Amino acid sequence: MPSLKDIKTQINSVGSTKKITSAMKMVAASKLRRSQEKAEAARPYSSRLEEMLSSLASSAASGEGIIKLLTGTGNDQNYIVVPVSADRGLCGGFNSSINRETFKLVKSLEGNGKKVQLMPVGKKSRDFFNRVMKDQTIESFVDLNVSSTGYESALNISNKLQELYFDGKFDKCILVFNKFKSAISQEVTQQQLIPLDVSNSEKEEEKENSSNAIYDYEPDEETILKDLLPKNVSIQIFKVLLESDAGEQGARMAAMDNATRNAGEMIDSLTLKYNRTRQAFITKELIEIISGAESI
Amino acid sequence: MATISFDLVSPENLVFNDEVGTIIVPGKDGDLGILPGHSKVMSSLRPGRVMVYSEDKNLIKSFFVSGGFAEINPEKCIVLAESVVEVNSLEKTSIEKEIQELENKDGKEIEEQLSVAKAKLEAINVNYYDKI
Repeated sequence: MPSLKDIKTQINSVGSTKKITSAMKMVAASKLRRSQEKAEAARPYSSRLEEMLSSLASSAASGEGIIKLLTGTGNDQNYIVVPVSADRGLCGGFNSSINRETFKLVKSLEGNGKKVQLMPVGKKSRDFFNRVMKDQTIESFVDLNVSSTGYESALNISNKLQELYFDGKFDKCILVFNKFKSAISQEVTQQQLIPLDVSNSEKEEEKENSSNAIYDYEPDEETILKDLLPKNVSIQIFKVLLESDAGEQGARMAAMDNATRNAGEMIDSLTLKYNRTRQAFITKELIEIISGAESI
Repeated sequence: MATISFDLVSPENLVFNDEVGTIIVPGKDGDLGILPGHSKVMSSLRPGRVMVYSEDKNLIKSFFVSGGFAEINPEKCIVLAESVVEVNSLEKTSIEKEIQELENKDGKEIEEQLSVAKAKLEAINVNYYDKI
Protein backbone atom coordinates (compact mmCIF):
# COMPACT_ATOMS: atom_id res chain seq x y z
CA MET A 1 0.00 0.00 0.00
CA PRO A 2 1.48 3.37 -1.03
CA SER A 3 2.10 5.78 1.77
CA LEU A 4 0.21 9.05 2.04
CA LYS A 5 3.30 10.97 1.04
CA ASP A 6 3.70 8.95 -2.20
CA ILE A 7 0.15 9.72 -3.25
CA LYS A 8 0.57 13.40 -2.42
CA THR A 9 3.70 13.62 -4.62
CA GLN A 10 1.87 11.92 -7.46
CA ILE A 11 -1.05 14.32 -7.22
CA ASN A 12 1.33 17.26 -7.32
CA SER A 13 3.19 16.01 -10.35
CA VAL A 14 0.00 15.27 -12.29
CA GLY A 15 -1.19 18.73 -11.27
CA SER A 16 1.83 20.42 -12.75
CA THR A 17 1.52 18.38 -15.95
CA LYS A 18 -2.05 19.54 -16.18
CA LYS A 19 -0.94 23.13 -15.87
CA ILE A 20 1.50 22.67 -18.74
CA THR A 21 -0.97 20.96 -21.03
CA SER A 22 -3.69 23.49 -20.39
CA ALA A 23 -1.23 26.32 -21.11
CA MET A 24 -0.19 24.58 -24.34
CA LYS A 25 -3.83 24.27 -25.27
CA MET A 26 -4.37 28.00 -24.86
CA VAL A 27 -1.27 28.80 -26.90
CA ALA A 28 -2.35 26.41 -29.64
CA ALA A 29 -5.82 27.91 -29.68
CA SER A 30 -4.53 31.42 -30.21
CA LYS A 31 -2.01 30.25 -32.80
CA LEU A 32 -4.77 28.35 -34.53
CA ARG A 33 -6.78 31.51 -34.94
CA ARG A 34 -3.80 33.29 -36.44
CA SER A 35 -2.99 30.39 -38.78
CA GLN A 36 -6.57 30.21 -39.91
CA GLU A 37 -6.59 33.91 -40.69
CA LYS A 38 -3.42 33.50 -42.73
CA ALA A 39 -4.85 30.56 -44.62
CA GLU A 40 -7.97 32.55 -45.37
CA ALA A 41 -5.98 35.59 -46.47
CA ALA A 42 -4.07 33.46 -48.96
CA ARG A 43 -7.20 32.05 -50.47
CA PRO A 44 -8.14 34.88 -52.88
CA TYR A 45 -4.73 34.75 -54.54
CA SER A 46 -4.66 31.03 -55.11
CA SER A 47 -8.24 30.82 -56.30
CA ARG A 48 -7.67 33.68 -58.79
CA LEU A 49 -4.50 32.01 -59.99
CA GLU A 50 -6.32 28.75 -60.50
CA GLU A 51 -9.06 30.49 -62.46
CA MET A 52 -6.51 32.13 -64.73
CA LEU A 53 -4.67 28.90 -65.17
CA SER A 54 -7.70 26.85 -66.03
CA SER A 55 -8.71 29.34 -68.69
CA LEU A 56 -5.21 29.18 -70.14
CA ALA A 57 -4.55 25.47 -69.73
CA SER A 58 -6.62 24.55 -72.74
CA SER A 59 -4.37 26.62 -74.99
CA ALA A 60 -1.21 24.75 -74.00
CA ALA A 61 -0.05 22.26 -76.56
CA SER A 62 2.48 19.69 -75.47
CA GLY A 63 5.72 21.57 -75.45
CA GLU A 64 9.21 21.96 -74.13
CA GLY A 65 10.53 24.01 -71.24
CA ILE A 66 8.27 25.39 -68.60
CA ILE A 67 5.11 24.07 -70.23
CA LYS A 68 6.26 20.67 -69.03
CA LEU A 69 4.97 21.61 -65.59
CA LEU A 70 1.53 21.29 -67.10
CA THR A 71 1.90 18.54 -69.65
CA GLY A 72 4.33 16.29 -67.83
CA THR A 73 7.52 14.69 -69.10
CA GLY A 74 5.69 11.89 -70.84
CA ASN A 75 7.22 9.40 -68.45
CA ASP A 76 5.81 7.84 -65.35
CA GLN A 77 8.85 6.25 -63.78
CA ASN A 78 10.44 8.51 -61.20
CA TYR A 79 8.41 9.91 -58.35
CA ILE A 80 9.20 12.42 -55.68
CA VAL A 81 7.06 12.41 -52.58
CA VAL A 82 6.91 15.40 -50.26
CA PRO A 83 5.43 14.64 -46.84
CA VAL A 84 4.53 17.82 -44.95
CA SER A 85 4.65 17.37 -41.18
CA ALA A 86 5.13 19.65 -38.20
CA ASP A 87 8.43 20.58 -36.56
CA ARG A 88 7.19 19.66 -33.12
CA GLY A 89 5.38 16.81 -31.51
CA LEU A 90 2.70 16.72 -28.82
CA CYS A 91 -0.06 17.10 -31.34
CA GLY A 92 -1.73 13.71 -31.31
CA GLY A 93 -1.62 11.62 -34.45
CA PHE A 94 -0.83 14.59 -36.67
CA ASN A 95 2.73 13.66 -37.61
CA SER A 96 2.49 9.90 -37.39
CA SER A 97 -0.48 9.77 -39.75
CA ILE A 98 1.51 11.73 -42.34
CA ASN A 99 4.48 9.42 -41.96
CA ARG A 100 2.35 6.30 -42.11
CA GLU A 101 0.45 7.47 -45.19
CA THR A 102 3.66 8.46 -46.97
CA PHE A 103 5.29 5.18 -46.11
CA LYS A 104 2.31 3.29 -47.54
CA LEU A 105 2.34 5.42 -50.68
CA VAL A 106 6.04 4.88 -51.25
CA LYS A 107 5.70 1.14 -50.77
CA SER A 108 2.78 0.89 -53.17
CA LEU A 109 4.59 2.96 -55.81
CA GLU A 110 7.66 0.80 -55.43
CA GLY A 111 5.45 -2.25 -55.72
CA ASN A 112 4.46 -0.98 -59.15
CA GLY A 113 8.09 -0.76 -60.16
CA LYS A 114 8.50 3.03 -59.81
CA LYS A 115 11.51 4.76 -58.37
CA VAL A 116 10.64 6.97 -55.45
CA GLN A 117 12.56 9.77 -53.78
CA LEU A 118 11.57 11.69 -50.70
CA MET A 119 11.79 15.32 -49.77
CA PRO A 120 10.34 15.70 -46.28
CA VAL A 121 9.18 19.03 -44.94
CA GLY A 122 9.16 19.42 -41.16
CA LYS A 123 11.41 17.89 -38.51
CA LYS A 124 9.09 15.06 -37.59
CA SER A 125 8.93 13.53 -41.05
CA ARG A 126 12.60 14.28 -41.74
CA ASP A 127 13.61 12.34 -38.64
CA PHE A 128 11.29 9.49 -39.49
CA PHE A 129 12.40 9.07 -43.09
CA ASN A 130 16.06 9.57 -42.24
CA ARG A 131 15.61 6.53 -40.07
CA VAL A 132 13.63 4.22 -42.34
CA MET A 133 14.48 5.33 -45.89
CA LYS A 134 17.70 7.21 -45.57
CA ASP A 135 19.09 6.59 -49.06
CA GLN A 136 15.91 7.82 -50.71
CA THR A 137 15.72 11.09 -48.83
CA ILE A 138 17.37 13.69 -51.02
CA GLU A 139 16.64 16.94 -49.28
CA SER A 140 14.65 18.20 -46.36
CA PHE A 141 13.17 21.48 -45.21
CA VAL A 142 12.81 22.16 -41.51
CA ASP A 143 12.10 25.14 -39.25
CA LEU A 144 9.92 26.81 -41.83
CA ASN A 145 7.70 28.79 -39.47
CA VAL A 146 5.37 29.49 -42.33
CA SER A 147 3.14 31.74 -40.27
CA SER A 148 5.96 34.20 -39.70
CA THR A 149 8.20 33.87 -42.77
CA GLY A 150 5.29 33.57 -45.16
CA TYR A 151 5.65 33.09 -48.87
CA GLU A 152 9.47 32.95 -48.89
CA SER A 153 9.57 29.47 -47.37
CA ALA A 154 7.21 28.10 -50.00
CA LEU A 155 9.33 29.72 -52.69
CA ASN A 156 12.42 27.86 -51.50
CA ILE A 157 10.75 24.48 -51.73
CA SER A 158 9.20 25.30 -55.06
CA ASN A 159 12.51 26.47 -56.56
CA LYS A 160 14.25 23.31 -55.43
CA LEU A 161 11.53 21.11 -56.87
CA GLN A 162 11.51 22.89 -60.20
CA GLU A 163 15.28 22.75 -60.44
CA LEU A 164 15.15 18.97 -59.95
CA TYR A 165 12.25 18.64 -62.36
CA PHE A 166 13.95 20.45 -65.21
CA ASP A 167 17.10 18.43 -64.60
CA GLY A 168 14.94 15.42 -65.37
CA LYS A 169 15.34 13.98 -61.88
CA PHE A 170 11.68 13.06 -61.53
CA ASP A 171 8.46 12.86 -63.54
CA LYS A 172 5.80 13.28 -60.91
CA CYS A 173 5.65 15.02 -57.59
CA ILE A 174 3.10 14.15 -54.92
CA LEU A 175 2.46 16.11 -51.73
CA VAL A 176 1.18 14.35 -48.64
CA PHE A 177 -0.24 16.73 -46.07
CA ASN A 178 -2.91 17.25 -43.47
CA LYS A 179 -5.84 19.10 -44.92
CA PHE A 180 -7.47 21.42 -42.44
CA LYS A 181 -11.11 20.41 -42.14
CA SER A 182 -12.08 21.96 -38.85
CA ALA A 183 -10.32 22.92 -35.63
CA ILE A 184 -10.51 19.37 -34.39
CA SER A 185 -10.23 17.28 -37.52
CA GLN A 186 -7.59 17.01 -40.20
CA GLU A 187 -7.58 14.76 -43.19
CA VAL A 188 -4.43 13.26 -44.70
CA THR A 189 -4.51 14.24 -48.35
CA GLN A 190 -2.39 13.43 -51.37
CA GLN A 191 -2.06 16.01 -54.06
CA GLN A 192 -0.23 15.73 -57.33
CA LEU A 193 1.78 18.90 -57.74
CA ILE A 194 3.78 18.26 -60.90
CA PRO A 195 2.55 17.86 -63.56
CA LEU A 196 -0.39 20.00 -62.68
CA ASP A 197 -3.57 18.06 -62.15
CA VAL A 198 -6.03 19.97 -64.28
CA SER A 199 -8.88 17.60 -63.65
CA ASN A 200 -9.87 19.21 -60.36
CA SER A 201 -10.13 22.63 -61.92
CA GLU A 202 -12.10 21.38 -64.89
CA LYS A 203 -15.42 22.23 -63.36
CA GLU A 204 -14.41 25.82 -63.02
CA GLU A 205 -13.23 25.77 -66.56
CA GLU A 206 -16.61 24.78 -67.87
CA LYS A 207 -18.23 27.49 -65.87
CA GLU A 208 -15.76 30.14 -66.95
CA ASN A 209 -15.26 29.02 -70.49
CA SER A 210 -17.96 31.14 -72.04
CA SER A 211 -16.66 34.37 -70.55
CA ASN A 212 -12.95 33.64 -70.78
CA ALA A 213 -12.96 32.81 -74.42
CA ILE A 214 -12.79 36.44 -75.43
CA TYR A 215 -9.87 37.63 -73.33
CA ASP A 216 -7.04 39.50 -74.97
CA TYR A 217 -3.65 38.30 -73.84
CA GLU A 218 -0.66 40.49 -73.34
CA PRO A 219 2.07 39.66 -74.43
CA ASP A 220 0.50 36.32 -75.50
CA GLU A 221 -0.99 33.20 -73.98
CA GLU A 222 2.16 31.20 -73.98
CA THR A 223 4.28 33.85 -72.26
CA ILE A 224 1.68 34.32 -69.57
CA LEU A 225 1.41 30.59 -69.08
CA LYS A 226 5.17 30.36 -68.71
CA ASP A 227 5.08 32.95 -65.96
CA LEU A 228 2.01 31.49 -64.37
CA LEU A 229 3.00 27.85 -64.06
CA PRO A 230 6.04 28.22 -61.78
CA LYS A 231 4.10 30.67 -59.62
CA ASN A 232 1.29 28.20 -59.39
CA VAL A 233 3.65 25.54 -58.04
CA SER A 234 4.87 27.93 -55.36
CA ILE A 235 1.42 29.06 -54.41
CA GLN A 236 0.15 25.49 -54.17
CA ILE A 237 2.98 24.68 -51.81
CA PHE A 238 2.29 27.84 -49.83
CA LYS A 239 -1.35 26.86 -49.51
CA VAL A 240 -0.43 23.38 -48.35
CA LEU A 241 2.03 24.76 -45.79
CA LEU A 242 -0.58 27.09 -44.37
CA GLU A 243 -3.20 24.35 -44.21
CA SER A 244 -0.76 22.06 -42.51
CA ASP A 245 0.20 24.78 -40.03
CA ALA A 246 -3.42 25.44 -39.15
CA GLY A 247 -4.01 21.70 -38.90
CA GLU A 248 -1.04 21.29 -36.58
CA GLN A 249 -2.33 23.91 -34.18
CA GLY A 250 -5.79 22.36 -34.30
CA ALA A 251 -4.41 18.91 -33.63
CA ARG A 252 -2.28 20.19 -30.77
CA MET A 253 -5.22 21.99 -29.26
CA ALA A 254 -7.34 18.83 -29.36
CA ALA A 255 -4.52 16.67 -28.00
CA MET A 256 -3.79 19.06 -25.17
CA ASP A 257 -7.45 19.39 -24.35
CA ASN A 258 -7.63 15.62 -23.99
CA ALA A 259 -4.48 15.54 -21.90
CA THR A 260 -5.82 18.24 -19.59
CA ARG A 261 -9.05 16.35 -19.13
CA ASN A 262 -7.23 13.10 -18.46
CA ALA A 263 -5.01 14.79 -15.91
CA GLY A 264 -8.09 16.19 -14.19
CA GLU A 265 -9.65 12.73 -13.97
CA MET A 266 -6.42 11.30 -12.67
CA ILE A 267 -6.19 13.95 -9.96
CA ASP A 268 -9.77 13.21 -8.92
CA SER A 269 -9.16 9.49 -8.58
CA LEU A 270 -5.83 10.04 -6.80
CA THR A 271 -7.46 12.45 -4.34
CA LEU A 272 -10.11 9.85 -3.61
CA LYS A 273 -7.42 7.26 -3.00
CA TYR A 274 -5.54 9.70 -0.78
CA ASN A 275 -8.59 10.37 1.37
CA ARG A 276 -9.46 6.68 1.64
CA THR A 277 -5.93 5.83 2.70
CA ARG A 278 -5.88 8.63 5.25
CA GLN A 279 -9.21 7.45 6.66
CA ALA A 280 -7.93 3.88 6.80
CA PHE A 281 -4.91 5.01 8.82
CA ILE A 282 -7.11 6.93 11.27
CA THR A 283 -9.45 3.96 11.69
CA LYS A 284 -6.53 1.65 12.24
CA GLU A 285 -5.07 3.93 14.91
CA LEU A 286 -8.45 4.27 16.64
CA ILE A 287 -8.88 0.49 16.73
CA GLU A 288 -5.42 0.15 18.25
CA ILE A 289 -6.20 2.74 20.94
CA ILE A 290 -9.61 1.27 21.75
CA SER A 291 -8.40 -2.32 21.91
CA GLY A 292 -5.45 -1.15 24.02
CA ALA A 293 -7.87 0.60 26.45
CA GLU A 294 -10.17 -2.45 26.65
CA SER A 295 -7.37 -4.80 27.53
CA ILE A 296 -6.44 -2.87 30.66
CA MET B 1 -18.70 58.82 -63.86
CA ALA B 2 -18.53 55.10 -63.40
CA THR B 3 -16.16 53.21 -61.18
CA ILE B 4 -14.30 49.97 -61.57
CA SER B 5 -13.72 47.47 -58.81
CA PHE B 6 -10.04 46.89 -58.10
CA ASP B 7 -8.41 44.03 -56.16
CA LEU B 8 -4.71 43.94 -55.41
CA VAL B 9 -3.84 40.49 -54.10
CA SER B 10 -0.55 39.17 -52.76
CA PRO B 11 0.01 35.55 -51.72
CA GLU B 12 -0.22 36.58 -48.08
CA ASN B 13 -3.26 38.81 -48.13
CA LEU B 14 -5.70 41.02 -49.95
CA VAL B 15 -3.88 44.36 -50.06
CA PHE B 16 -6.45 46.60 -51.66
CA ASN B 17 -10.09 46.18 -52.51
CA ASP B 18 -12.31 49.10 -53.45
CA GLU B 19 -14.20 50.87 -56.21
CA VAL B 20 -11.84 53.25 -57.99
CA GLY B 21 -11.78 55.54 -61.00
CA THR B 22 -8.57 54.65 -62.81
CA ILE B 23 -5.69 52.22 -62.35
CA ILE B 24 -2.33 52.18 -64.06
CA VAL B 25 -0.50 48.85 -64.08
CA PRO B 26 2.99 48.08 -65.41
CA GLY B 27 2.26 45.58 -68.18
CA LYS B 28 5.08 43.53 -69.61
CA ASP B 29 4.93 45.38 -72.92
CA GLY B 30 4.14 48.78 -71.46
CA ASP B 31 1.94 50.50 -68.92
CA LEU B 32 -1.78 49.93 -69.08
CA GLY B 33 -4.26 52.58 -68.02
CA ILE B 34 -7.49 50.96 -66.95
CA LEU B 35 -10.79 52.82 -66.86
CA PRO B 36 -14.26 51.44 -66.16
CA GLY B 37 -15.49 49.49 -69.17
CA HIS B 38 -12.03 48.36 -70.27
CA SER B 39 -12.04 45.44 -72.67
CA LYS B 40 -11.09 42.00 -71.37
CA VAL B 41 -7.34 41.65 -71.07
CA MET B 42 -5.04 39.30 -69.26
CA SER B 43 -1.50 40.56 -68.93
CA SER B 44 1.65 39.66 -67.09
CA LEU B 45 3.40 42.46 -65.25
CA ARG B 46 6.96 43.70 -64.96
CA PRO B 47 8.33 45.13 -61.69
CA GLY B 48 6.94 48.64 -61.31
CA ARG B 49 4.28 50.89 -59.90
CA VAL B 50 0.59 50.13 -59.65
CA MET B 51 -1.18 53.47 -59.33
CA VAL B 52 -4.72 53.83 -58.07
CA TYR B 53 -6.81 56.96 -58.73
CA SER B 54 -10.17 58.09 -57.49
CA GLU B 55 -13.03 59.01 -59.81
CA ASP B 56 -11.88 62.61 -60.04
CA LYS B 57 -8.36 61.52 -60.99
CA ASN B 58 -6.69 62.09 -57.65
CA LEU B 59 -3.97 59.63 -56.76
CA ILE B 60 -5.18 57.48 -53.88
CA LYS B 61 -2.31 55.08 -53.51
CA SER B 62 0.69 53.81 -55.35
CA PHE B 63 2.14 50.37 -54.80
CA PHE B 64 5.30 48.73 -55.93
CA VAL B 65 4.88 45.20 -57.29
CA SER B 66 7.71 42.85 -58.19
CA GLY B 67 5.81 41.29 -61.05
CA GLY B 68 2.64 39.29 -61.38
CA PHE B 69 -0.53 39.26 -63.43
CA ALA B 70 -3.49 41.45 -64.14
CA GLU B 71 -6.90 40.27 -65.17
CA ILE B 72 -9.12 43.01 -66.50
CA ASN B 73 -12.76 43.01 -67.51
CA PRO B 74 -15.23 45.88 -67.89
CA GLU B 75 -16.35 45.82 -64.23
CA LYS B 76 -13.32 44.53 -62.41
CA CYS B 77 -9.54 44.60 -62.37
CA ILE B 78 -7.56 42.05 -60.41
CA VAL B 79 -3.82 42.29 -59.91
CA LEU B 80 -1.99 39.25 -58.55
CA ALA B 81 1.43 40.33 -57.36
CA GLU B 82 4.17 38.36 -55.69
CA SER B 83 5.27 41.08 -53.35
CA VAL B 84 3.49 44.32 -52.74
CA VAL B 85 4.77 47.37 -50.87
CA GLU B 86 3.49 50.90 -50.78
CA VAL B 87 5.85 53.18 -52.63
CA ASN B 88 5.83 55.61 -49.70
CA SER B 89 7.23 53.00 -47.36
CA LEU B 90 10.23 52.19 -49.55
CA GLU B 91 13.51 53.56 -48.25
CA LYS B 92 15.93 54.92 -50.75
CA THR B 93 19.10 54.30 -48.77
CA SER B 94 18.38 50.68 -47.96
CA ILE B 95 17.54 49.92 -51.59
CA GLU B 96 20.71 51.58 -52.81
CA LYS B 97 22.65 49.45 -50.37
CA GLU B 98 20.84 46.34 -51.59
CA ILE B 99 21.72 47.16 -55.19
CA GLN B 100 25.38 47.65 -54.31
CA GLU B 101 25.48 44.30 -52.54
CA LEU B 102 23.76 42.53 -55.40
CA GLU B 103 26.03 44.05 -58.00
CA ASN B 104 28.99 42.30 -56.44
CA LYS B 105 27.38 38.90 -56.88
CA ASP B 106 26.69 36.73 -59.88
CA GLY B 107 23.99 34.36 -60.95
CA LYS B 108 20.62 34.24 -62.61
CA GLU B 109 18.62 34.73 -59.45
CA ILE B 110 20.76 37.67 -58.41
CA GLU B 111 20.12 39.29 -61.76
CA GLU B 112 16.40 39.03 -61.19
CA GLN B 113 16.69 40.48 -57.71
CA LEU B 114 18.82 43.27 -59.07
CA SER B 115 16.29 44.22 -61.71
CA VAL B 116 13.56 44.27 -59.06
CA ALA B 117 15.68 46.43 -56.78
CA LYS B 118 16.47 48.83 -59.60
CA ALA B 119 12.81 49.05 -60.47
CA LYS B 120 12.13 49.88 -56.82
CA LEU B 121 14.60 52.71 -56.92
CA GLU B 122 13.03 54.00 -60.08
CA ALA B 123 9.59 53.80 -58.52
CA ILE B 124 10.73 56.18 -55.76
CA ASN B 125 12.50 58.59 -58.01
CA VAL B 126 10.03 59.07 -60.82
CA ASN B 127 6.91 61.14 -60.45
CA TYR B 128 5.14 60.84 -63.77
CA TYR B 129 1.58 59.59 -63.46
CA ASP B 130 1.34 61.43 -60.15
CA LYS B 131 -1.16 63.71 -61.84
CA ILE B 132 -3.26 62.48 -64.71
